[in-house]
Amino acid sequence: MPVLEPTSPALELDAVSFAYRRVPVLREVSLRVSEGEFVAVVGANGSGKTTLMKLSLGLLGATSGRVRLFGTPLERFRRWDKVGYVPQRAVSAFALPVSVDEVVKSGLAAKARRFGGRRPEETARIEHVVEVLGLVGYRQRRMAELSGGQQQRALIARALVTAPRLLVMDEPTAGVDGDARGVLRDALEHLVTAEGMAVVYVSHDPEGFAGLAHRVVEIEGGQARVGHPGAAQRPVVAPAQ
Amino acid sequence: MNPFALEFMQRAFVACAVIAAVAPLVGSFIVQRGQSLVGDGMGHVAFAGVGLAFLLGADPVVGALAFTALAGVLLVRMGRAGLAGDLAIALIFYGGIALGYLFSARANAGQTRLVGLLFGSPLNLTWPQVGVIVALAAAVVVVTVALYPRLVALAFDEQAARVAGVPTDRMVMALTLMVALVVVGGMSSIGLLLISAMMVVPVAAAAQVASSYRSTLWLASGAGAASAVGGLLASHYGDVAPGSAIVLVAMACYLVATGWRSLLRRTQSVEALTGGG
Repeated sequence: MPVLEPTSPALELDAVSFAYRRVPVLREVSLRVSEGEFVAVVGANGSGKTTLMKLSLGLLGATSGRVRLFGTPLERFRRWDKVGYVPQRAVSAFALPVSVDEVVKSGLAAKARRFGGRRPEETARIEHVVEVLGLVGYRQRRMAELSGGQQQRALIARALVTAPRLLVMDEPTAGVDGDARGVLRDALEHLVTAEGMAVVYVSHDPEGFAGLAHRVVEIEGGQARVGHPGAAQRPVVAPAQ
Repeated sequence: MNPFALEFMQRAFVACAVIAAVAPLVGSFIVQRGQSLVGDGMGHVAFAGVGLAFLLGADPVVGALAFTALAGVLLVRMGRAGLAGDLAIALIFYGGIALGYLFSARANAGQTRLVGLLFGSPLNLTWPQVGVIVALAAAVVVVTVALYPRLVALAFDEQAARVAGVPTDRMVMALTLMVALVVVGGMSSIGLLLISAMMVVPVAAAAQVASSYRSTLWLASGAGAASAVGGLLASHYGDVAPGSAIVLVAMACYLVATGWRSLLRRTQSVEALTGGG
């Protein structure tokens, strides 16, 4: 496979700082993630890696510095269908019965038609992500009945239904057992290599992305350090045709 | 005498069944968002609006609508300003009840009138009042249907919905205003202090047996309407307060649903142990 020149940045952080009640959490962090690239962000609990992720998505506002998504400053960015977000899975997140199908389809809410109706391409995309994530037999099951890994895959499927070019995940392997991690890895590998998606994978657990990440960024003391001694890294390759 | 043949009972059946069917539609979103008490807070604010309306000689519905709409905006702003969700609700809750009693006392509103608003007096409704309740309920249904996918995304995960491009601030505002409409619609029928129970209890009952979010909504709506009819019948034959009877019937629905679910689980466990045969 040809090596892909990472020229189309999905996400750019330029000297981004963030302080919570005047206490610095992140200091002048810069990061660039291109399409087809898998970047793992690691760090101890409280290091600021989740803050970094939230700043990247506009869920928090930076104290200083600039964030760009697909070349557009965050404050002017409107193409949110190009961004998929998988938050950290909370065991009690669904107080009421919610089916896998409903969770996946909720990812299309922003572009849903008033008073119902789904476009054919949306239906096709739902079928595709459900298949890629191995959820075909689980669509009508309640989320609460599923294992941690199955729930996680449903949340990833929700993030993927808009066919995003950037996928941001927060602790995706938390509470997921060994077999389910394998399924998750296969799905992520497919997204990066076959669909050319940019993936930002925030985790404290290097095992989850070993062999998948092109780069590992460690957050320590509020600053980013590229490369991590324990992580296997690989070259960026062009998506398979 | 057949209660369905009595005109005052017919008015009560229509008003209570309609508002009790619509309240869980809104309730399902607030329960999923972990804000089950927001309706209670709104009820107290509506009381302040009604009290001021008494003082000014205005229509209580208008006073309640104005205050709950204002409180809805404030609630969202306070939440965005960093106040924890339940703290914002609590502040509005206490402010509402204090203002409500202050205004009512100044207006010399009669005890019976006040109790009727707080705990419901569906047997005293006029047809125009029933019409207002039906109109408010219809508005809630239209907004629910129009915004359903966005409200569902908001209820499942607000941050994920925001990143997906859902205008979450506007959806939170719409949801809060829907709660306000239900509270105002339910104040003269089920009561300001009891209508919030109809947003939550039928949803809790439906959640015991439903298989999806959508089916929870349908079942909860049905349970709400059935509780209203059952409660009014209990009130008619048992000579008990109708608002309380409606909520207690809804509670009974919850207990029956919980029992049914336990029975189902036990049967499934036995079948699994015996290999299904």
